[in-house]
Amino acid sequence: MTTAGFRRGLVAALPFLLSNGAAGLVMGLTCKGLGLGAAHAILFSLLVYSATAQAITLSMWASPLPIVAMVVACIATNSRYLLMGAHLRQLFGGLAPRKMLPTLFLLADASWLMTSADVDRNGPDAGYLLGSSIPMAVGWVGGTAFAYAAPLAANGPLRLAAALLPTMFIATLIPSQWKNARSPWPWLTSAAAALLVARFVDPSWSMLIGGGCGTLVSMMEPTDA
Amino acid sequence: MHDLQVFAVICMLGITCYAMRAGGYLLAASMREDGIAARFLRLAPGNLFIAFIVGGCLSGGPAGLVGTVVALVTMAITTREWAALGAGFAAALAASAIGL
Repeated sequence: MTTAGFRRGLVAALPFLLSNGAAGLVMGLTCKGLGLGAAHAILFSLLVYSATAQAITLSMWASPLPIVAMVVACIATNSRYLLMGAHLRQLFGGLAPRKMLPTLFLLADASWLMTSADVDRNGPDAGYLLGSSIPMAVGWVGGTAFAYAAPLAANGPLRLAAALLPTMFIATLIPSQWKNARSPWPWLTSAAAALLVARFVDPSWSMLIGGGCGTLVSMMEPTDA
Repeated sequence: MHDLQVFAVICMLGITCYAMRAGGYLLAASMREDGIAARFLRLAPGNLFIAFIVGGCLSGGPAGLVGTVVALVTMAITTREWAALGAGFAAALAASAIGL
């Protein structure tokens, strides 16, 4: 875990201040609409820190609160973190748990994806994971808080920025990943499976199942792609 | 609904989410380096990138697709993330403005 890696991750993830800020703002406005106070909404974004888990549990918000269903929904929507955590163990297994476990509190899809790409370019550095996680968390929690501080409504460009920037950012990692690919079949499989899952099952499972199917095809190839 | 009850539920959901984040890391300690699971994890990132992008494009609609393709092409040409994101977002906004 180096300072240089931390700085590199922090700078690389700065665009997420904008996209996560906008998404956090939309989340804050949703919480506000459901009658949650500012302190609860900010705590919700800080502790849960997952757009899908928060969106789903908020959609269940009722009196009395269906606690068991909410916990099960959190487990189901965040099961992808098990895979990401296991992958991070491969990369940073030599690092003391007292350094890694607090960092994992801020683990997000995008910070994991960015760290995986950075490992290919610069070698394993958990500082990058921590650095890239910070602008994302600040944007998300700050956006939620801002929804209570300013008289705002979720409008077109704001929703568009919140929805698109994470996808576009991950798309910018594709050219560097393509250099390591041995054939297009795993990626085509990932895309097709993700498409089918999003269309016929549930969009929140498309990354995990689509990526899993593509990885199985990668494993059938003679050399690692 | 009591404030304390809401607070307790939020904490419970937070603990659940952290358990998922840390759980994979802790469980993987017992995994063999040369095993099938380890190879699967090594090969997973690129495939997950693609699946993530497909899911994002679907939820973003045609404007999202245009923005993502423009960002990808700009990155391939310029290798600069800021240029790619700027061009991608501008393209998505333009596509949205013309009703895509």
